[in-house]
Amino acid sequence: MEKKDHILYDKTGNPSKEPAWIFRTYAGHTNAKESNELFRKNLAKGQTGLSIAFDLPTQCGYSSDHAIARPEIGKVGVPINTLEDFRILFDQIPIEEMNTSMTINGTSMWLLSLYVALAEERGEDVSKLQGTTQNDIIKEYLARGTYIFPPEHSIRIIVDMYEYCLKRIPKWNPSNICSYHLQEAGATPVQELAFALATGMAILDAVKERNCFTHEEFEQCVGRISFFVNAGIRFIEEMCKMRAFSDMWEEITVGIYQVKNEKYRRFRYGVQVNSLGLTEEQPENNAWRILIEALGVTLSRDARCRALQLPAWNEALSLPRPWDQQWSLRLQQVLAYETDLLEYPDLFEGSRVVESKVKDLIENANKEIQKIKEMGGAIKAIENGYMKAQLVKSQAERLAKINNDELIIVGKNKWKDGIPSPLTNDPDGGIFKVDPKSAEQTLKVLSDVKARRDAKKVAETLARLEDDAKNGKNLMFASVECAKALVTTGEWADTLRKIFGEYRPSTGVEGQKLNLESDKVANVRTKVEKFQKATGARPKIVVGKPGLDGHSNGAEMIAVSAKHAGFDVIYSGIRLTPEEIVQSAVEENANVIGVSILSGSHVELAEQIFAELKHYKADIPVVFGGIIPQPDFEKLHSIGVKAIFTPKDYDLMDVMDRIIDIVSAKIPASV
Amino acid sequence: MTVRFAEKELKELIQEASQGEKYPLAKLISELEKPDSFEFRKVLFKQLENSGFNGDKSVTIGFTGTPGAGKSSLLGEISTNFLQTVPDKKMAVVAIDPSSHISGGSLLGDRTRLSLPVREKRIFFRSQPSQLELGGLNPYTYHVIRLLRCFFDLIFVETVGIGQNEIEVSKLADLSFLVMVPLGGDQIQFMKSGIMEVPDAFILNKCDEENLARASYHTLSTTLEFLRDIVPGGSIPPIFLTSVKTKKGIQELLDFVLKSKPHTKRSGETKVQIEKWIKTEYGNFGLNILSQTHFDPKGSFEEVEASAKIEIEKNYK
Repeated sequence: MEKKDHILYDKTGNPSKEPAWIFRTYAGHTNAKESNELFRKNLAKGQTGLSIAFDLPTQCGYSSDHAIARPEIGKVGVPINTLEDFRILFDQIPIEEMNTSMTINGTSMWLLSLYVALAEERGEDVSKLQGTTQNDIIKEYLARGTYIFPPEHSIRIIVDMYEYCLKRIPKWNPSNICSYHLQEAGATPVQELAFALATGMAILDAVKERNCFTHEEFEQCVGRISFFVNAGIRFIEEMCKMRAFSDMWEEITVGIYQVKNEKYRRFRYGVQVNSLGLTEEQPENNAWRILIEALGVTLSRDARCRALQLPAWNEALSLPRPWDQQWSLRLQQVLAYETDLLEYPDLFEGSRVVESKVKDLIENANKEIQKIKEMGGAIKAIENGYMKAQLVKSQAERLAKINNDELIIVGKNKWKDGIPSPLTNDPDGGIFKVDPKSAEQTLKVLSDVKARRDAKKVAETLARLEDDAKNGKNLMFASVECAKALVTTGEWADTLRKIFGEYRPSTGVEGQKLNLESDKVANVRTKVEKFQKATGARPKIVVGKPGLDGHSNGAEMIAVSAKHAGFDVIYSGIRLTPEEIVQSAVEENANVIGVSILSGSHVELAEQIFAELKHYKADIPVVFGGIIPQPDFEKLHSIGVKAIFTPKDYDLMDVMDRIIDIVSAKIPASV
Repeated sequence: MTVRFAEKELKELIQEASQGEKYPLAKLISELEKPDSFEFRKVLFKQLENSGFNGDKSVTIGFTGTPGAGKSSLLGEISTNFLQTVPDKKMAVVAIDPSSHISGGSLLGDRTRLSLPVREKRIFFRSQPSQLELGGLNPYTYHVIRLLRCFFDLIFVETVGIGQNEIEVSKLADLSFLVMVPLGGDQIQFMKSGIMEVPDAFILNKCDEENLARASYHTLSTTLEFLRDIVPGGSIPPIFLTSVKTKKGIQELLDFVLKSKPHTKRSGETKVQIEKWIKTEYGNFGLNILSQTHFDPKGSFEEVEASAKIEIEKNYK
């Protein structure tokens, strides 16, 4: 009897072992050729699936030769312009045998079309393609910023993909509800549960509304929905969150959508563990954090992910090197193959603590879902700014706790003294840098393709795409035709931008408060008062987020903190050009411009900002914040940047203190 | 506080601002927004007059409405149409944001909803925190508007307002709009506490859907007819149905604005603003003295302000 309890049996009743989850590494950089080599090396090392990172222009629907794309080509992922880039990217990789995850949202339909076109060109059976296009547009509006079109049109594109995939590539997950970035943006477990499930319901409701499926086919659609979840450092709570997810999805699929087939109700999810808690200080500690976070989603059989990707220990510093990714992959392999983790039935079944915690999470998440439902669902809660404001609030609370030492982060606000990490002693500083010249190769492939493709065919397929968009036809078919005609990513997106328009969501910062009262706050406010007395006006800051990098948490927190300190703050959200940011600062006669950049394009953007200030003959101090490696500091200072803040500068009031000092230094002697 | 700019510098700033240079204009506005700008105002407005800028032909348009009525996005759409269809005129927008809290700091979010072209000299946008002032206006808004009138043909002033107190903007606007969203009878009951009588025209924004728009139009016009005691055969103020999404009604609204003239009440504006200032500074006591004081009705704001101040201080002792 006892033995029976700790032996895992398969469906036929034989003792068995769980198969391991899919091991992935979120990877891609520089250009298609380099990324292809990286993929093949990773697969040779025992990785079992691909997870493609695309660069920001590809994610936002710009070809590499667009002016806005230039500083970003190949920085945070691989640039993809045309089918030719996919031919290079998947060279010698049997895509029909792969399980490919693409972290792509605004342009997901386009990238899937390229994948389909490549498979057809290779003569493969397209129906065998397996993988996922992330395609969760809601979290893009909330946290990550690579949206293009307004919500209604984005949802239509997603539904088009469900319709297409169900009939042509039934093993493909057309979308993947991604709550990962919600946690990165500060979401509590309850918010992560509620917002993700509300998003799932929004998609299913839209699919239902299209009314193009029989109930049996609709059930298959439900079965295709997968989730991409974040696992944070509070790993027991995170494990309970995964169990709550499964239970709630079961309730939703049975209760609301009447899914009879058990197979289609399964809560299928992949995980990327949290990067939010990784520190730039004592970065070697991140290795332990990553392991613990991985345990939350692997330890118990009933809450074990289907695919896992782990960040690297040095992600808070900059891009990880191939060696760092290899180290991350090895952790998964040790966990799955050396330990006895996969040999047991669920370890937590019957645990009173776990059961009660799960119940709690479900109750609270259901309350939140009810609120969203009463607003009219997830799309409405995006449009009215509710979800965004909730996340900004949670993030502000989290940061206030770190600042107040209520939340301990080892090496950051506690046990700060340590021996410098030998891991960063390498001549490369322990980080990976993309060669700025490598963009030339991408641009050359693009211009070659443009020169040799059939211009008439390009025009015809784009015209069809435009017509289909206007007439409400499924856009997948025209998109695949475009892919085959060597249309570019920018051309595809521009055609749809013309019809659908572009979208600017709520910034979520208005009306926010920071729960932080300390001597430091008082000190900064005293300086602000002094400034006000001396000049007759409050200090005014323009917080800017230039370029395509949509990770706006830092900018939002600086905006909220500056207001808390007594500044007048102008923050207009993401994806502004340096010209727009400078124009705001000039018209408002701001005392300082604060720029937030995480994509590694700080030098190029600094140059553009200072060129624009020169145009207006405006002498406004500029400070930078973001993931900026130390070796770049000197360059930025030489361009004119007055101060640079990195994740190490987590204390919001220390940041504000330095900013008010910079602003005060400019008080003219005459007043 | 002394005047920060030397005479020559001030002349240059005015000259450059008149040519659409943004930074010089922004600097002038910042000086006006300071609490003790009296000396500066005297010099500035004298200098402007000497340089031939009096703002007499400029039209000020007030845009008031509840948060979420879509005022900023609507102004964004109007700006786009303006830049495309009115090549010979210039416009400015002053957006007053009510957000403010214990630290006194503010988050000015109106720029978010307007996407304006860069380096375009025919349009200028400026945010102002309301600094908790009742009436939705910042204490210095009036002076900023006086300055902008010298250089721009149209000045839009956007304020949040839900009640009678918040419609203050109409006192300095030549044309004031109340911006609303399609609504039903109950909401009108709620809003009619005096506020419906103030605006010169109404905008029903977010009319993305025809039927709802038409129904709201009829509800509003019926209410207005009986609220405003309109004699049979008289006409109710214009109601515009607009939608940023479908671009409905934008050009009509702009055409209406372009046809408007500076209000004849402009001459009384100084008096109203002086009274407002005296009331804030000295309460009813000040107002009483002001009513007994005689001053040149054609005098500038600063002249009246100075003589009123002398009278009040005399009596105060």
